[in-house]
Amino acid sequence: MTERMRESLSALLDDEANELEIQRVLAAVDGDTELRSAWTRYSLARDALDSQPLALAQVDISARVRAALAAETPEPARASGSGLRQRLLRPLASFAVAASVAATVVIGGQQLAPAGGDAGTDAVARLPAGPSAVSILNVAGATAVPASYGTQPLPVLAPADRTAYRELARSRMNRYMQLHAEHAALNTPQGLIPFARVPQIHE
Amino acid sequence: MSRATLRRTLASLALLLCGGAFAGPCPEVDSAAVLWLDKMARSMREISYHGVVTLQREDEMQVMQVSHLTDGDASIERLTQLTGQGAEVDRQAHSRACVHPGHQLLRMSEELRAGRCGITERYRLSMGGRERVAGRSAVQILVKPLDMYRFGYVMSLDHETGLLLKSATVGHGNSVLEKYQFASLSYDPRLPETMESATVHHAMHPHPALVHTGPTVKRPWQVQWLPGGFAATDAPPANGARRTYTDGLAVFSVFLETLERGIQPGEGYVSEGGTLSYTRGMSVGGQSVLVTVIGEVPVNTARMVADSIAWMH
Repeated sequence: MTERMRESLSALLDDEANELEIQRVLAAVDGDTELRSAWTRYSLARDALDSQPLALAQVDISARVRAALAAETPEPARASGSGLRQRLLRPLASFAVAASVAATVVIGGQQLAPAGGDAGTDAVARLPAGPSAVSILNVAGATAVPASYGTQPLPVLAPADRTAYRELARSRMNRYMQLHAEHAALNTPQGLIPFARVPQIHE
Repeated sequence: MSRATLRRTLASLALLLCGGAFAGPCPEVDSAAVLWLDKMARSMREISYHGVVTLQREDEMQVMQVSHLTDGDASIERLTQLTGQGAEVDRQAHSRACVHPGHQLLRMSEELRAGRCGITERYRLSMGGRERVAGRSAVQILVKPLDMYRFGYVMSLDHETGLLLKSATVGHGNSVLEKYQFASLSYDPRLPETMESATVHHAMHPHPALVHTGPTVKRPWQVQWLPGGFAATDAPPANGARRTYTDGLAVFSVFLETLERGIQPGEGYVSEGGTLSYTRGMSVGGQSVLVTVIGEVPVNTARMVADSIAWMH
C-alpha cells in the first residue's frame, strides 16, 4: 500500500475524502490485499466508535459493484431522489456513506462461497442505517452479492459501547500524560510547557 | 552563543541555502523562514530568560512562570504553575552538548550539511507578518503540514534573539487548538525567586543513549508504520510498554497493555486542545491488547499507528 493510498483511505474514514480519493481507493482496493485488510480493520474500529452494528468478513470488492460505482451514467434515482454520481461527486458528508460503501463491498468474501438463499439479504439488512448502501446499490442497478457463511463462522463483532472507550481514553490520558510530557519537553521547541498539559503532575 | 558566533552560523547557513543545497532532493523552501527556525532551535538552549506564559486550550487558560538559565555549558529550567494545581517542574544541569532527536531535526544548518532535508520535507515554512509579543518585536513563521498526519503552527520569534515567544497549534479548517505566549519576558540571567510549591517534580531525562527504565509488557513488539519524518525520542527495550516519536514539532507516545481477557474491539478518544488520547482495543496475534496513543497529532495519525502494532518474532 502506497503512502498516498494510505492517506486517501485515512481521509475516507475521517470524512475528509474528496471524490478523487474515493475513486483512488475504490480503484485500488481490488488488487491490493494490504489495502483491503487495512480498510476492514479501520472500518471495524470506526464502526465501534459509531456504535453501529455491522457484520464484516474479508473485504472482497465485487467487480460488479465497482463497475456500478464507476458507471458514467447511472439510472436516475427513483427511490432516494439523488443519483449515485451526485452522491459520489459530493465529498462524503458522513462516515455512514463511506461505511456503506465499505460494507457493501465486503459482502461475498473469498471464503464465503457465493450461493443463493437469504444470507446476503440478512447481511445487507445489518448494514448501518442512514443514506444507506442499499439505496446506492439499488439506484446503481446492482444487486448485493449473496454471501454464504460457508464452513467458517462469520465474525460478528458487537461494537463496544462508545462511551466506555471514551472513558478508557480519558483514564489513559490521566495515567500516561506526564510520561509523554517528559519526552515532549525535550523534543519540541516548547521547553517545559508540555508539563502544563498534564492533568495532575506527580513528583 | 555569542552574537558573533550566531552571525557566523547564520552566514554559513545562508551560504548553504543559496549555494544550491536545496537544489538536491529537498523541497523548495523559504530560506528566510528556515534561517529563523534554525536560530530558534539554538536560542531555546543557549539564552537565559524568564517570564510569564499563558497557555490557552479551548476555554481554559493556565498561567505559569518559566525560566531558563544557562552558563554556556549547562542549563537549569523551571516551570511553576500560577493557576490550577500550582505544581513546579524543574530540570537541573542539562548539558548544552546534549541534543535530543526533536531538537536535532530543527537544526536545519546541521541537517543540510549532513545531506538531510529535516522538517522541510514535512512542513512548508514561510514568513508571516510582524507583531509584538510581551513587549518584544516578533517575526511570524507559518508552518504548514505537507500531509494530514500533523498539525500546523504559527510561531512568533523574538526578532532579536529568535526565542519562541508565541505558538498557535492549528488543526483542520484553520481552527486554533492551543495557543501559548509570553505575557512578560526578561533576558535577565538571574533566576527569579522560587515560590512555594506543594508538588515539585524533577523532570526525567529520556535520551536514545541512556539506559531505559520503565514498565514492560510480556512480549517484544513494534510499531510497523510511522508517518514520515518521525524518529524515536529514546531507545526503550523491545518489551518496553512505551514508544515515543517526534518530528521536531509534534510528539506522540504509544502505550501498550496486554489484557488477560478478551475485549470488544473498538476505539475511543478524547482531546484537550491539541493533545489527543486515543485508545484502541484489539487482538494482535491472538492476544488482546489495549493500545493508547497520546500526543499532539490528529486522530487519524493515532489510529493508523495503533493499527500497525505487531509482535516481534
